[in-house]
Amino acid sequence: MNSGSRKAIEVQNLVKSYDGKKNAVDDISFTVKEGEIYGLLGKNGAGKSTTIKILTTLIEPTSGKVDVLGFSPSKHALQIKKRIGVVQQAESFDFTTVENNMKVYATLWELPREEAKARTEELLELFELTEVRKTRAFELSGGQKKKLQVARELMHDMDILFLDEPTVGMDPIMRRRILDNIGKRAAGGMTVLFTTHFLEEADYICDRIAIMANGRIKVEGTSSELKSKYGGLRTLEITAPEQPGEAQVSELKNALIDAQLAQDTVIEGKTVKIIGRNITKVLEDILRLTRKYVKNIDSINLRDATLDDVFIEVVNNQ
Amino acid sequence: MKIPASIRLTYRNIMVNMDAGTMMFMLGLPALYLLVLGTMFQSLIPGVPVNNHSISYTHFLGPGIVAMQTLTAGNIGGSMLWSDRRWGMFEQLLVGPFKRTDYLLGIVFVAIIFTLGGSFIMFILSELASGGFILNLVSVSLTIISLVLGTILFSSLFLIISSLAKTMQAYNTITIVLFFVLDFASSAFYPINSSSESVVRYMSLGNPLTYVTDIVRTALISTPTIWTLEEIGIVIVITAILFTIARQLYKSIKMGI
Repeated sequence: MNSGSRKAIEVQNLVKSYDGKKNAVDDISFTVKEGEIYGLLGKNGAGKSTTIKILTTLIEPTSGKVDVLGFSPSKHALQIKKRIGVVQQAESFDFTTVENNMKVYATLWELPREEAKARTEELLELFELTEVRKTRAFELSGGQKKKLQVARELMHDMDILFLDEPTVGMDPIMRRRILDNIGKRAAGGMTVLFTTHFLEEADYICDRIAIMANGRIKVEGTSSELKSKYGGLRTLEITAPEQPGEAQVSELKNALIDAQLAQDTVIEGKTVKIIGRNITKVLEDILRLTRKYVKNIDSINLRDATLDDVFIEVVNNQ
Repeated sequence: MKIPASIRLTYRNIMVNMDAGTMMFMLGLPALYLLVLGTMFQSLIPGVPVNNHSISYTHFLGPGIVAMQTLTAGNIGGSMLWSDRRWGMFEQLLVGPFKRTDYLLGIVFVAIIFTLGGSFIMFILSELASGGFILNLVSVSLTIISLVLGTILFSSLFLIISSLAKTMQAYNTITIVLFFVLDFASSAFYPINSSSESVVRYMSLGNPLTYVTDIVRTALISTPTIWTLEEIGIVIVITAILFTIARQLYKSIKMGI
């Protein structure tokens, strides 16, 4: 995207502990440049949402330095809040119609009447909410509620948009449409901090990515940097005519790890995915071992690492 | 023209809470009390003594129902915080261009608007049902002052519950019980005097709605005395205490856990 050289977000040695014992965020540092789309990835409880809540002034950090648009969230919350947009992970909507939710938001953000009207129409159209504009928000499906949350937030202009898992429950077409829209806004100079469980989304839209685990940033870089950093990591996809049993796959996984042939093995439907660094060199050994547990094989496919593979590797080897 | 954040939040609270259920609770129930209870008890109660006069039960009940709007609107106001916490809007609004105080003021302002609107409608109904209320600068001012104070008092009380309640069940149980105790153990529905059952009398004397009702009733059907001023003083003190507690608890609501 169109990232500048000025820093929109700067985090140094940030720590957050809720109970004084375990750190939800544990000494993380990162910088997001203006116009950059920065992805925070990690399993549930990795510390992504806590980080966003600190940056958006909702909670105070335990220690560390945080700077958002040149302001400290602890000291100048209002100056920051006037210039950011936040789509939170949790559902949030007013108990009124979709259209009124947008209208109320326009008033809260002091949009001129005509501009509010035009933006409402544009966003209802973009998010395919026109047909349910008179429906009360609580009657919407999960995906529609999420669309309303994102659409509502895009009513106003902002310098930074914080998106905490914004596409949960949406179909792939809508997800792609939202990502493209966000990408377009970032190209216009808006900074985006984005968390998601859909790694292909991060791969598609983020300029840089940080993978978090146990409150710490384990790796950081562009998608291609991460893939090359985990260079040699490849995935062997073995598809069987019927779904192999979990016990079989678990035994296969242990056998492959014991024989130092692969780093990880996961099952997705009828496909067993074996992830390793030197798969091409030990392909015959892997196949020999695999046949002990998966008797019939329909197809075999060897591909380069995806962000999913990097994620699994990083999180599993923390 | 810049509209203050608290006013924008007040507008939002009105837009979001102007639903049929809230309006029924705010206006329908008190109107039923006034028209059904008033009419039915009037035939059983020959007259209610007020300042050495005897007035009809409907005439007595009218100011009680007007004053009751403070409790109803306070309940609605306090529930807004609970509802916003429950449905994610509290955090969402606090990452918007507002201070925490703006959100609190938005709730208090909308409760005052609901009280004044509802009280006006109840006053018109009372006037139609019995007539003869005193309307002059002193009575109107005294009524408005007591209604505004009463609303801040009861909003604070329900904000305290909204801040402390952990579950929907706990919140509902506490508010329903409290609402009925405050409503019926007060002077809104019957006169509290030395001949009243002692338990009810003591409960009523500890109930702020009694003082708000007495001020409104004095303003609309009697003559204010030094005791009226003392009652205003009592309401101001209770309001100040409850608002301070509500503000502290509200400020300490934890987020993001």
